[in-house]
Amino acid sequence: MGIDPGASSVKVVVMDYGGGEGEILFRHVERIRRRDPAKVVQECYQRALEACGLGEDQIDYLASTGDGDLVPFRRGHFYGMTTHARGAKYFSSEVKSVLDVGALHARAMRVDERSRVLQYQMTGQCASGSGQFLENIARYLGVGLEEVGPLSLRAKKPEVVSTICAVLAETDVINMVSRGIATEDILKGIHLSIANRLAKLLRYIKADSPLVVTGGLAKDAGLMQAIREKMAEEGQQIQILTHPDSILAGAIGAALWAGFRHEQLVPFQLNAPNLGEVPHGAGA
Amino acid sequence: MSTSSNRSRTLEEVVQYCESLYEDTKLQCVQRWKAAEAGRRAIGFMPVYVPRELIYAAGVLPVGLMGGSDRVEIIKGDAYYQSYICHIPRSTIEMALSHYLDDLDGLLCPSICDVIRNLSGMWKLLFPDRLCRYLDFPQNFTPEVGGAYYRRELEELLADLERLSGRKVSEGELNRCIELYNHNRELVEQLYDLRAKQPWLVPTIESYLLLRAGNLLPVEEHNELLENYLREVPGSHRRQMDNIRVFLIGSFCEQPPLGLIRTLEKAGCYIVDDDFVLTSRWLTRPVEPGPDPLGRLCKAYLETSTFHSSKYEGPQPKPKLLLEQIARRRADGVVFCAPSFCDPALLDQPMYMRALDEAGIAHTSFKYAENTGQFQNIREQVGTFSDSIKLWGAPSPVRT
Repeated sequence: MGIDPGASSVKVVVMDYGGGEGEILFRHVERIRRRDPAKVVQECYQRALEACGLGEDQIDYLASTGDGDLVPFRRGHFYGMTTHARGAKYFSSEVKSVLDVGALHARAMRVDERSRVLQYQMTGQCASGSGQFLENIARYLGVGLEEVGPLSLRAKKPEVVSTICAVLAETDVINMVSRGIATEDILKGIHLSIANRLAKLLRYIKADSPLVVTGGLAKDAGLMQAIREKMAEEGQQIQILTHPDSILAGAIGAALWAGFRHEQLVPFQLNAPNLGEVPHGAGA
Repeated sequence: MSTSSNRSRTLEEVVQYCESLYEDTKLQCVQRWKAAEAGRRAIGFMPVYVPRELIYAAGVLPVGLMGGSDRVEIIKGDAYYQSYICHIPRSTIEMALSHYLDDLDGLLCPSICDVIRNLSGMWKLLFPDRLCRYLDFPQNFTPEVGGAYYRRELEELLADLERLSGRKVSEGELNRCIELYNHNRELVEQLYDLRAKQPWLVPTIESYLLLRAGNLLPVEEHNELLENYLREVPGSHRRQMDNIRVFLIGSFCEQPPLGLIRTLEKAGCYIVDDDFVLTSRWLTRPVEPGPDPLGRLCKAYLETSTFHSSKYEGPQPKPKLLLEQIARRRADGVVFCAPSFCDPALLDQPMYMRALDEAGIAHTSFKYAENTGQFQNIREQVGTFSDSIKLWGAPSPVRT
């Protein structure tokens, strides 16, 4: 099982490892919506067990990623980059680069054929390359999150916004609304602004094709189009892929690494003082 | 002079008590200890090592000073040190000038680096009425040279301590204290052995706080506390995690904030050995009590003190000793966790790293200050280090 508590939602998958192929038995995304994240994690965990008809002791290995502190019953934890890289490989076995766009951060990674991260770059403290920023904008504009992508795709004359700061960009948007700019054009401008930041990350790591986009924003068709336009503008011919389960990439990666570690650990008893003797490495 | 409480605590109570001592930057527990009996004296000492047996035998409580952590805002202390100097001397000065250390009747500054030597000079200027000694440890380990020199150094220290406490130290009393501290070292070693064997039972944050408690408590009480913890912890039913085992090195003087230690563990590392609070682990074997205990303390320093950045290399190269210790603890990798501007720790690092590379042992390094408050970057770095060892047994990815 992989559990990925993020800034705005908790993602859970239960998988049959199947020697690394991996089959998803259960998937769930639960928005936190001002609730106690630890309780949301616990509810998701119980829901996963019930849906699969499994008891706690029937989960071979439960791995967390993201905010692992919220999953005290985990067996192991994998860092977000490691799991998103693995999740991206699950979506596309040819993947060379990964772009994870979550609620608060975005990061670009170059990976090898085993989904091992070779090089990476992250956004800093600023949230202007992230889902939370887009969510705030959607709220100002009075549109649902699911409408953002389709509206942006219909834009005719995108309105340029600040590409530096989420706070300034939000102020820009308020001004645009008062100037009567069409919602589609505002959203496309926002998408281009985010895409500009993401393209910088991809440039830093010298991203190769194909690129798999993971995280909550991967399903935003407007943003994907904006990224393609930015990359084309920079003369980069890069295939950009998404997947309907992109938001679950971290949880899927965690579950697959969990399966990998479980196979390594099978000969060793839990709570025996010999875990340190397990040979590490040789991943997937 | 024991203040032994003879009260058994639960595991949670032991940890809470240690936390309260960690937070006692104004040394109220030392104040209480002194108030309990007229004429009691206490003396502070800086890292890394002082012969606490000698101090305690003189009726003086040795109090380990390890900076102000993130609990002391440095304002006055900054005026005494340049910006390229580490934090611990400035927080020590800050605490002294803010009257946090008023209950100390003196200060011992062991020869760990030039900055701590300068601290002893500043203390003498700021507090001319209080005892202050710079303890220059031998860098020559032959009994005729380094041993003879160290003996004179200890005799002078003993004379100072006897003047401070107004009491002559007998051989019997020194031997009694040697035995108390031998027991202390044995208990600390048991704690470290248990953590190396079953690290999920002994989180490093707890072993660290237990060691820090020994900086403030009389040795009898610290021994009881350690025994109490070792008695309670096997029944704690803590779950084993699939973490890597790391050897942490470089944090022997200025201490990392507790948040940093927690961050390392949350990032997927079991710390199976470290160099925190080395005073209690400096001598690697018991000091044999008997006639001429002062000579025995000297001999123990020459023959059994651990390898360290503040110590000249003995007959065995330091990297070799580090590799042996890593093998003994079955560590998967090494985390170099040193304070910014710490000359001893940072100067030894390239030598250790070269040896680790040659031995194929993964390592990662970062720096901190005692008041560092943001650990996201360190968590990211150590998290990827942990993943790369667990999954690839190879070095971490590169952040561009």
